[in-house]
Amino acid sequence: MSMNKNSSEMDTGRRHFLAAMGGVGMLIGFSGTAYAIRDDKVYIKSSGGALVVDLKKCMGCGTCMTTCSLVHHGKASLSLSCIQIEQDVFKPFPQDIQMSTCLQCHDAPCVTACPVNANKASEDFDFVRDIDPDKCIGCMQCIEACPHTPSRVQWNPTTRCAQKCDLCLNTPYMEEQGGIGGVQACRRVCPVGAIAFITELPEQSLPQNYVVNLRNENWAKSGKTIED
Amino acid sequence: MKKLKGYAGKILHIDLNNMTHHVLPTEDYYEWGGGHGFGAKLFWDLCEDIEAVIDGRDPRNVITIAGSPFSGTNVPSAGGRCEVTNVSVGLIPRNRFTRSNFGGHFSSMMKHAGWDAITITGKAPYPVYIDVRNHHVMIRDASHLWGKDTHETQQFIQENVAKIDVAAGWNAQLDGNDIGRTTQKASVLAIGPAGENQAALGCLIHGAGNAAGQGGNGAVFGSKNLKAISFIGTGSVDIADPAALVKARFKTREFYAVDVDKSTNFTYNGLSAGPAAITFSQMPTEHRASSCHGCVNGCKQRNAIGYGNEVTCQTSVWYLGAVRSYKFGGDAKLSLHNRSIDLTADSLYAGDLANRLGINTYAIMALIPWMQKLHAKGKLGVGKKIDSNLPYEILGSREFADKFCHAIATGTDIGAHFLDGVVPGVQALGHGADVDNGTLDYPYYGMPEHGYDTRAELEWGYATLMTDRDMNDHALNWIYWTVNLAKLSGIDLPIPAKEMATCFVEKMAPYIKPDEVSAMDYASHNMYSEVLARQVQWVNHYGRFWKNSALMCDFRWPDCVNLQREDLRGATGNDEVGEHVWWNAVTGEDISYVDGIERGRRILNLDNAIWVLEGRHRDDAKFADYIYDKKLTYSKLPTFLWPATNEAGEWDYRDMLGRSHCREGVETWKSHYYRAEGWDPDTGWPTRALLESMNMKEVADRLEQVGKLGKEG
Ligand code: SF4
Ligand code: SF4
Ligand code: SF4
Repeated sequence: MSMNKNSSEMDTGRRHFLAAMGGVGMLIGFSGTAYAIRDDKVYIKSSGGALVVDLKKCMGCGTCMTTCSLVHHGKASLSLSCIQIEQDVFKPFPQDIQMSTCLQCHDAPCVTACPVNANKASEDFDFVRDIDPDKCIGCMQCIEACPHTPSRVQWNPTTRCAQKCDLCLNTPYMEEQGGIGGVQACRRVCPVGAIAFITELPEQSLPQNYVVNLRNENWAKSGKTIED
Repeated sequence: MKKLKGYAGKILHIDLNNMTHHVLPTEDYYEWGGGHGFGAKLFWDLCEDIEAVIDGRDPRNVITIAGSPFSGTNVPSAGGRCEVTNVSVGLIPRNRFTRSNFGGHFSSMMKHAGWDAITITGKAPYPVYIDVRNHHVMIRDASHLWGKDTHETQQFIQENVAKIDVAAGWNAQLDGNDIGRTTQKASVLAIGPAGENQAALGCLIHGAGNAAGQGGNGAVFGSKNLKAISFIGTGSVDIADPAALVKARFKTREFYAVDVDKSTNFTYNGLSAGPAAITFSQMPTEHRASSCHGCVNGCKQRNAIGYGNEVTCQTSVWYLGAVRSYKFGGDAKLSLHNRSIDLTADSLYAGDLANRLGINTYAIMALIPWMQKLHAKGKLGVGKKIDSNLPYEILGSREFADKFCHAIATGTDIGAHFLDGVVPGVQALGHGADVDNGTLDYPYYGMPEHGYDTRAELEWGYATLMTDRDMNDHALNWIYWTVNLAKLSGIDLPIPAKEMATCFVEKMAPYIKPDEVSAMDYASHNMYSEVLARQVQWVNHYGRFWKNSALMCDFRWPDCVNLQREDLRGATGNDEVGEHVWWNAVTGEDISYVDGIERGRRILNLDNAIWVLEGRHRDDAKFADYIYDKKLTYSKLPTFLWPATNEAGEWDYRDMLGRSHCREGVETWKSHYYRAEGWDPDTGWPTRALLESMNMKEVADRLEQVGKLGKEG
């Protein structure tokens, strides 16, 4: 797997860091290659990719949600989906739909919050932030730590584990290989192509930086706006 | 029977007489599939006295809102549809067990809450709503909601349900230790003032504009003092073969559904149609297509103007002709020749108004030009023969729409005449001739013309006569829109008529052989043929299972012609992404496409048994006089092209305008149909042998008790 060019060594702008309070002892048991130390601060290396969305293209079908839960759990569920599409059908366009994906944050707060390194960024998977259910102790600290609303980490009441978007790395019910360089089920299934995948993450982990315009001239032919 | 996947496993029975609820095991109903099949069997089981319930507002009426194994899954264009069954209000010559269907996210949320269907009997002593949060069921006081419109009602309930905040943006439900969470709002189905006033024109509304109304469903809710039903769920649907389901969905996306970034296909319905707002007024560009749960190509819209969300299809046109008439003169009858943007805002406004008040816009649309004419003739207005205070001189304005809809919803002014339905009201006003002569186009059972006059589109009327209501099945109607809109738009449709007919016929197993192309020949010389009876059988049986029970969307299924495919052959019936592929992946059964259609035959036969108990006879099945006595001269598009042969047997798209039905011909066709079904051609009643061959001995016994079994042979 290739090293992500957008890793945190190149990224001097971020000031969230792991273990500011302590020495390298904190890192015992961690995969050292997942971190970069710079100016005495330890950063999680950036994810090799993330999802971006077009809020004006989505039609609110929820297919991405039930497909996400299907490929991971073999069940159709909204609550177990790592992408959350929220709708208020009484609001005017475009405020009627909110699309919430995991931003695969730089120096991800959910990863840093995990006391047992279950929520992690591993070099083997190009630093996708994901949660190992075998290690998760269900403390919910990553759910609280995710700075976005809704929290991009979900609670699975059956396994009593936290879970989050792994870009489809761990998908026993999808034939194709997931993860970076593979298939992301939500992106592939979306009927209107309202979800895309990027390898160059934005400078800052802010939801608005992950909103893009995926509408082209062909979309305009159906009478719908292609303006931002 | 082995436990099947895809079902939640529980059906919720609400007994409003006693204000209690019970759980019925879904397992007992597996053989009926879901949706309509569930509704029919639950009605059979729970309605105390079928013969005696002659009006849907009778407390003994049983109304069922049912999902299917597909609800809440990503089966394409099937995860969010929902079937409503009950005895109707306002139909002629008598009310009957009937159906309606709506989309959105109600059936999906019901499933995620752990329920396959909800069935309601009795009448509450005071206004109530049903609030279900996972397995917690509450029958709650709705006094404070009574009088509110459907949007306010839903928003109030959603706010009330969403208040247990457990993490940023996530709510928990009343689950004790099982803290399932959701970011979603509750899905609510509500009536507005029209339903509260038990108006036959009242409908059920879910979301901004998903409606079920053709059969007086709103009045049924109102008669039960039931304002709304709300579900919120944090559970999931177990799937028998999730990998197969995902794989088929990917294939559908890649090889059958439109590619929105590239495709320039022109097609109306089906899987290969684009995600586009089906509004007949032109939409401003600032809108999105919106959809039901799991759809491959949404047909609804939400827009930036602040009203009119999800005003779709018929709701977007009911007032369009009036708006045009008001702005530019001429009569208020609908025409789609001119649907320019300057008519849009007012049409959406009127659609929104009807959705909020919970009015079935199909039923009121034809009244508009009729009232305009009567007013012009001095027969309708203040102090006139039909006394009414509505401002008819500004018919077509928002103010008129407000006053008219309010009157219809509250049963006041002109609305007082239509509480029991349009046709009974028109007859009581002494204008029955207007129904007979087609001034008001209500061609069958007191129901409005759907837009596809049966003098041209034969199967629409025939299937309606053989069932319970305006059939609302667009299986073959794909042709009307695709061919005629292409013509109107100057697009050269690359499918010759015979090939189009062949594509459809190939999907009509088991009733039509692949080479019986005449099953799609709409020529006058083929109007009353035996093969057309079998074609309508296919429409009815396919529809009763795959659409009304498995709940695949009527706009997207069957997928007979698919313009994404080089060979034009759609998904229907194929072993890659056909109907049975989804059924088997979700439930774990191993059935064929035809097995599903056979289940539909059985469900239709249970329906027919109910109709027979309700008093149905062959003589009921007839069109209004104008269908026989007058030629069809009007189409909302300039043409009514359909595949047909000429005398020399040459196929082409030929215009069906200019012809009428003949009574003897329709009777001949009916006899073909009854024989094909195995129903007694003299009465339309089923025989014992037929019912027993479908394992329905109990049904045969019941019909025998009342002397209504058909003669054998
Ligand atoms: S779960 Fe939240 S904190 Fe963690 S990477 Fe995703 S968006 Fe960032
Ligand atoms: S990329 Fe995969 S895990 Fe992430 S939201 Fe999409 S389907 Fe779910
Ligand atoms: S699948 Fe696509 S259109 Fe449907 S809800 Fe998800 S992002 Fe929106």
